[in-house]
Amino acid sequence: MSLDKVLKYTSASKTNPYAFDDDENFLKRDVTDNISHFDFKFAPVLKPAEFAKSHIDVKSQKDSLIKLAHGTTTLAFKFKNGVIVATDSRATSGNVIASQTVKKVIEINPYLLGTMAGGAADCSYWERELGRRCRLHELANKERISVAAASKLLTNMVYSYKGMGLSMGTMISGWDKKGPGLYYVDSEGQRIKGNLFSVGSGSTFAYGVLDTSYRYDMETDEAIELGRRAIYHATHRDAMSGGYVRLYHIKKEGWEFIGLEDVEDLYYKYNNQE
Amino acid sequence: MDIQLGLAGKDFVILLADNQITNSILTIKHDEDKIYKLSEHVVMSVSGEPGDSSNFSEYILGNTVLYNIRNQHELSVDSCAKFTRKELANALRSRSPYQVNYLIGGYNTISQKPALYRIDYLASIAKVEFAAHGYASYFCYSIFDRMKKPDLTQDEALDILAACVNELTRRLVINHSSYTLKLVDSNGVRVINGEELLKRTSAK
Amino acid sequence: MSYNGTAIVAMTGKNCVAIAADKRLGQQFLTVDMDFQKIFPITKKTYVGLPGLATDVQTLYKSNMYRLNEQRDIEPKAFAHMVSSTLYEKRFGPYYIEPIVAGLDKNNNPYICGMDLLGCMDVAHDFIVAGSADENLKGMCENLWEADLEPEDLFETISQALLNAVDRDALSGWGGVVHIITPNEVITRHLKARMD
Repeated sequence: MSLDKVLKYTSASKTNPYAFDDDENFLKRDVTDNISHFDFKFAPVLKPAEFAKSHIDVKSQKDSLIKLAHGTTTLAFKFKNGVIVATDSRATSGNVIASQTVKKVIEINPYLLGTMAGGAADCSYWERELGRRCRLHELANKERISVAAASKLLTNMVYSYKGMGLSMGTMISGWDKKGPGLYYVDSEGQRIKGNLFSVGSGSTFAYGVLDTSYRYDMETDEAIELGRRAIYHATHRDAMSGGYVRLYHIKKEGWEFIGLEDVEDLYYKYNNQE
Repeated sequence: MDIQLGLAGKDFVILLADNQITNSILTIKHDEDKIYKLSEHVVMSVSGEPGDSSNFSEYILGNTVLYNIRNQHELSVDSCAKFTRKELANALRSRSPYQVNYLIGGYNTISQKPALYRIDYLASIAKVEFAAHGYASYFCYSIFDRMKKPDLTQDEALDILAACVNELTRRLVINHSSYTLKLVDSNGVRVINGEELLKRTSAK
Repeated sequence: MSYNGTAIVAMTGKNCVAIAADKRLGQQFLTVDMDFQKIFPITKKTYVGLPGLATDVQTLYKSNMYRLNEQRDIEPKAFAHMVSSTLYEKRFGPYYIEPIVAGLDKNNNPYICGMDLLGCMDVAHDFIVAGSADENLKGMCENLWEADLEPEDLFETISQALLNAVDRDALSGWGGVVHIITPNEVITRHLKARMD
């Protein structure tokens, strides 16, 4: 039972769609009230949120009708010369490797990058939408949006769908007036500012490598190598991560694509040199 | 949330275990030694279901000691590991399986080589260079992979363990205040002061 | 069957058989060991591959070895029946293993046989696959296998089948091993693979 029912309170506000989820009013309600432009169709049942939850396998554990691609290692960290963003490239469905060539970095605009973990479709859709909004902000204000504001836009969008089965763990990073920026945003509505994040099933392995050698005052080469190594070690131990290491460096002039390297080549390179 | 790490070097093995015994949200004990000394050259660290871990470990301990007395001969690390696996595997198919994970490390005085075995509660055994059980494994395996090298010295091994402990303190929800470390080489078992390891971590 | 992760395949050739496996030992998504033995020699001309739960791999191998006390080499067919019986003995608390027996009989004719976890035998003339990557392997074998391959060609075929199958399976891989059993010798080769 929703809170407003308990309190015998009839809410005029329609900001939280979840508040209606055991109420037929939910169907009559137009989600686009607050979020102009969106017009998602909900399942024509009494409790669309429950329906979505029972049919979409967000955690990749049950036999659901719709399975989402899961298992990832992504990381991003700030250092003195900017931000390093690195990801693996594997998509799995159950234990089948669906793809080894997924692009898990979303280039929102020349100054902003987003990473993908969780539901691939959710990440790509909402970060594309974020890109659109960032552009609108630029046109309206004649200046680029800050990383803080961009990440806040994303949180606000996905937070309004909380409990509906969105699955997203992303890092929004970029360069603005204040310098390098890095935020972790997820579909729970969390938004955290930080110097170092890693997201996905392989994140613990990546953290292991990152934490042991990370220093804020690293040189650029060192930082890139750290990002590469962290992803590489995660793919080595985590069955759900693998494929290619994709690397970006965000500088004052915007992001630069460093490269795409096959984990297989990295393994034999690292192990022959030792 | 027990922490168990093990590392085999050039001519030695080190096992590390935390010292906590917990019950739900409560810590009952802070200075428990979870690394059993099976013989002069074999040690065994244990984690898992509270009652099972002590009972089954004592059973293994008792039997290895009995073997050593009866035969006037020390059971090698390899034999200890295989014996433990066999007993655990038999129990697995019984009415009450033991839910315990083991790391068995030692120095084989005949082949003059160190050995480290990883046995999980399902009784699968693997001879490895380094090992971890539980949540710690998700953080430490990548550190082992990153820092390992052939013919590891004792000092390098302690550096790796220090890095692991550092990472666990930083990232694992539960914090452990102290650890037991036991090193086995041709001279037998030696206890390394856990405080020294923590010093290494803070020095980094 | 997919707790530890496995891929094992056996194939027949002309007066030879091949059996190959990956090397991973995992605990679900965590890779614990990359040199885990899943294929075991029984006689000079018979090998058994044990895909499934790692603990049962080790238990079943041991329990079969204890039974081989006859001081003479067992035929692959007889051995397969023995494994099958061993499995059925545990009808109500099975070993989680789907064994593959591969060997040459006394006339050097190839024999391969797969089983389910209760011991139901499946004798094939072409190939047998099992493990977490079994569907991938089946696809590869359907495409690559042909009759009467010479040992070297069989090695190439089975290696390609294994490597490409594990490249699409998250839970197996991390290296491979191939045994080619010929009338005179067994050729064992280790395969480099993707380590992710």
